[in-house]
Amino acid sequence: MPAPTLWKLKLCAMSSEKPRISQRLFYREAIVRALREKMTDDKRVFVLGQDVGAFGGAYREFDGLFAEFGPVRVRDTPVAEAAMIGIGVGAAAAGLRPVVSITYMDFLMLGLDPLVNYGAKLSYKTGGQLHAPVVIKTTAGAKGQGVAHSQCIEAWLMGVPGLKLVCPSNPEDAYGLMMTALEEQGPVVFVDHKKLFPIPGDVPVAPYRTPLGVAKIIRAGSDITIATHSYMTRIALQAAELLMRHDISCEIIDLRSLIPLDAELVTQSVARTKSLLTLEEGQVTCGVGAEVAARVQQLLGPVRVHRVGALPVPISSNPVLEAACIPSVHRLVDEVKFFMNIARPERPDPVIT
Amino acid sequence: MIYKLSVPAIAEDIEEFRVLEWYGGVGTLFNSGDMIVELETHKAIIEMRAGQTGILRVIAVPDGAWCKIGVPLGLCSDTLDETLLDQAEAASDMLLEFEVA
Repeated sequence: MPAPTLWKLKLCAMSSEKPRISQRLFYREAIVRALREKMTDDKRVFVLGQDVGAFGGAYREFDGLFAEFGPVRVRDTPVAEAAMIGIGVGAAAAGLRPVVSITYMDFLMLGLDPLVNYGAKLSYKTGGQLHAPVVIKTTAGAKGQGVAHSQCIEAWLMGVPGLKLVCPSNPEDAYGLMMTALEEQGPVVFVDHKKLFPIPGDVPVAPYRTPLGVAKIIRAGSDITIATHSYMTRIALQAAELLMRHDISCEIIDLRSLIPLDAELVTQSVARTKSLLTLEEGQVTCGVGAEVAARVQQLLGPVRVHRVGALPVPISSNPVLEAACIPSVHRLVDEVKFFMNIARPERPDPVIT
Repeated sequence: MIYKLSVPAIAEDIEEFRVLEWYGGVGTLFNSGDMIVELETHKAIIEMRAGQTGILRVIAVPDGAWCKIGVPLGLCSDTLDETLLDQAEAASDMLLEFEVA
């Protein structure tokens, strides 16, 4: 029976008939695709973590790997983050390429000693004779799980020489940055976000790598530069739409990689807009934004800067308080208006006092 | 009557899902409880089952394609001879049940 000619959904149906130069994937599928391709090509790559085996990962980001590669290369571990990262660093030093899954970034704290004191320093300590090419994949972000399962502590890692740190905000970058991470010489911390897992995106079918240290302008604008990363890119994009109504044109930069940090791209943008607002889900005190702002000012001289991040309180498991703590679209709109001298937000500047 | 098959916000954070497999083609009669289509979200396989009788008339989002929450996946009708509407949104909502597989 023929469908009616004015059928509104035809475009949606037709979209699957386009030449498949890209495929639409959930964020988790982009991660698992990169892992599958690298595990197929490079026998040294293996995964260890809690529930990464038959269960397929807390967010199904290891789905299918256990069935395909078996229990030797996809290894379930006890709840012992220090041991997991220690084993990962040791296996990397011995010539393998481990991917260690730390389910929540909060628990990365337990493995900081092997990561920071051993993994990040191994090539320095051994005069370049040994390296620790381990990828630590972990999930940050607030999504109803309370004080110790919600934090974004990527800024803590930014001052560790020897580490690389990436925070992809979409499936395309999640694939490309995981591919790059799995070819690095030293440890890479790959930070995803709970709220990014439900979001699909188009991922090129042909294999590719996303370079480290290359930020991306995800919305061009002329009045203010917003430098952000991970899930907050989505908050920034939504706020930018609303700010158009106030004749404020936002340029949004997705930093993508925090070590190395692409301060040059941010600086070029700020040279045009004359105003820098940094946005992060973590704390602003000694945060990602503080570092971005400092580097931009070293390159450009004094510029107007405003930092936006979580309020200086632990993240509550009460959803109302959680939402009040982390930056929302409306709070960002208020902060931008305040910064651009249009209005003053009711809340004080969220720094630890 | 013409009915649209659309997926409500089955979980707070789902914006878009993938259609995995239709359990029947255009012209298939579904009775209450029959599986119509299998959907995939970021973390679960969701079975869409009929909550009433209806004949599948249009598959708007085929196997493997993506659909946003609230957008009709297809149309059903009570009888085969009913004229389809030009605007899917104008159709009534089919009674549907959703279960995590």
